[in-house]
Amino acid sequence: MQLITENFVVEEAVDQHYEVLKELGDCHASLGNHDRARHCYEEAAMLAPEKSGPAVGLGVVDIQTGRLDAAEQAFRRALRVEPDCAEAYGGLAMVYQHRRDYPKAFDTYLACLDKDADNLVALLGLFQTSCQMGSFAKVIHYLTVYLDRHPGDVSVLFCLATLYARDGRYREAVEALETILVLESDNAEAAGLLGDVRRKQAETAPEVMSP
Amino acid sequence: MSGDDHTTTGPLVSVLVTTFNRRRYLREALAGLLGQTYGRFEAIVVNDGGEPVADVVEHFADPRLTLIERRENRGKAASLNEALARASGTYVAYLDDDDRYYPHHLARLVETLEGDTDCGAAYSDLYTVRCRILPDGRRQVRGKVVSVSRDFDRFFLCCSGHALHMSLMHRRDLLQRTGPYNQRLSMLIGWDMVRRLAFYTDLEHVRDVTGECYAPAGEPDRTWRAGQLDRQAFLAETRLIRTTRPPKPWPRMPDLSVIALPDRIDDLAADRIRRLYAVTFMPFEVYLPAAPSDVARLGIDMPNLVPVPAAGGVSVEARVDAALDRLGGDYVAVVPHGVPMTLLWVEDALHAAVGDPTGRTAFTLTGHSEVRPAFVVGAGQLRRARAGRGERRLLDSLRGVGAEVREPRPGEWALGFERVFQAAESLEEEGNWVQAAALYNQIHPRFGNTRWMRERAAAALYRAGGRDDEALDIVGDLNRGRPTVSTLILEARLHRRCDRLNDAVGLLERARSILNAEGLPCN
Repeated sequence: MQLITENFVVEEAVDQHYEVLKELGDCHASLGNHDRARHCYEEAAMLAPEKSGPAVGLGVVDIQTGRLDAAEQAFRRALRVEPDCAEAYGGLAMVYQHRRDYPKAFDTYLACLDKDADNLVALLGLFQTSCQMGSFAKVIHYLTVYLDRHPGDVSVLFCLATLYARDGRYREAVEALETILVLESDNAEAAGLLGDVRRKQAETAPEVMSP
Repeated sequence: MSGDDHTTTGPLVSVLVTTFNRRRYLREALAGLLGQTYGRFEAIVVNDGGEPVADVVEHFADPRLTLIERRENRGKAASLNEALARASGTYVAYLDDDDRYYPHHLARLVETLEGDTDCGAAYSDLYTVRCRILPDGRRQVRGKVVSVSRDFDRFFLCCSGHALHMSLMHRRDLLQRTGPYNQRLSMLIGWDMVRRLAFYTDLEHVRDVTGECYAPAGEPDRTWRAGQLDRQAFLAETRLIRTTRPPKPWPRMPDLSVIALPDRIDDLAADRIRRLYAVTFMPFEVYLPAAPSDVARLGIDMPNLVPVPAAGGVSVEARVDAALDRLGGDYVAVVPHGVPMTLLWVEDALHAAVGDPTGRTAFTLTGHSEVRPAFVVGAGQLRRARAGRGERRLLDSLRGVGAEVREPRPGEWALGFERVFQAAESLEEEGNWVQAAALYNQIHPRFGNTRWMRERAAAALYRAGGRDDEALDIVGDLNRGRPTVSTLILEARLHRRCDRLNDAVGLLERARSILNAEGLPCN
């Protein structure tokens, strides 16, 4: 047997202070305590300048407070520290979306999902952006990939159903909405959309069937 | 700093502080010492040939501080011995020049040793502080982890040590029996002393964090580094420590006499005896019954090797009887050729024998057979068995006095805690978090280390997901008692996962205050 000489891996301690500050920043940001969050992120960045997390956190706070230029700078700073940081791409896309620069937002959300296909914020952002732009194919692909890994995620399933409906793919929309209602029988939004889709399906079906 | 607000009654504690070229941190270490709530101490600071520190010590203008300035660097053990020569306290405590005590450090240890205990020594828990040294010399704290918090286990202590020297306090009079610090050692000096203390007393574990020892982030542990740099020197010092036999009687330490019974006295036998020294960690002597000329020819220069004159070609029984006449250990290991020399080769059977309520059982070693018996048994029991038995076979004579001969059972093995703990860690590595947590929860009622195991259980349940309430029950209870940075972070994450963000913020703020605190207790 190999003998234990220490209770804990002391290396765990190396990032502890950073993690406390980063998590405090995240909590304060979620609670709307923006100044406190900013202060925590700035302290965390001083402790661990090699990490992108604090810059991403600052960017999110800047978006929450409407400071889009500062947010863009923060996310770009995060990408300089960590070029593959999915959260930074997601944040940058959000900035573009707020500026109504949908094509840029769309591409940047895609860049985020290339780094992290599970990034829910980017998925939902991509969905919203695509609704504005009317281009659904790529989004449907990413939502489908995500749902293969998280089949019970009702919010993403609803986005997918919406896109199918807008794209005229009613049969697939109905399937997705029925799945939602199996999982959540009282989901009013899904039930409402299902009614709409079935009506449209009924309107379009005779034309399709006519010789 | 005056001691007006501090305890001025109670036994005197001698605090030994050795320093070498760390003036800046020495000032902080002494400030922490002089801020103790227990004021009845004398501090003997030994400058081991480093840059002068008289102004640092004089700055405090405290009569409890004595400075020994030495020009030449003679090493830590020599410094400690020099300080001990001046010490007059009932108890001795230690402080390294780059570490620090929390204000209750001395008070907690004195209270423990003066309380309801028959232990002559006690040790507390410490934070290992990972820090980055800034260009101006200040230390930027990266994290604080309780890196050693283990209940006293004599076998484990002899194997690899589990009490940090800085956290130790012991009766000064015990040093008359242990002897001074070993100046032949260049590393592991503290472990050597703690180990020698364990020959005469149990050590009380004070489950409270009472100080901090600093370790620069990214740098390996000093002992580990020394071991890597010069493996042979490290092994030689480890062997020196393990073969040190302080004066008897040893009221607390089992003494093992190994009777080596090689088939032939040749190079192979010599190699096996050398191997025995490499893997045995409990105190032992080796008795080698053989013709003196054969032993001389072997040329083994090992400490604690006792040649027992015996004619060549005599039976195993005759050789054992010859050794029995000489040996002075409490327990005897009969070791014929073929017993594998691996870690714990003899300690499991010894542990079982020490814990045997009957005192009569012979516990077999790996490689034992009826024709080639290999076992550990109480020396008295073996003497009774052999008295007047002549050539009667060893096992028959043992059974003749009612001895049971059997393997040690798992529950009787040495280092039982380590073995089960490692099994739980393996479960974690495989991602079996819930089973790991269950095992951690089973360990502490039997083996102690309760706080540590409960923390591990809570962390495993957190990782498992879906068991947050159970994890919260455990870690919340720990934090109501003695919070540490790690347990506060864990509880905060659990609250965060349940969207109780205000609770998480409160806990993280407490963790942050411990990380930012300098020289303050954590609870």
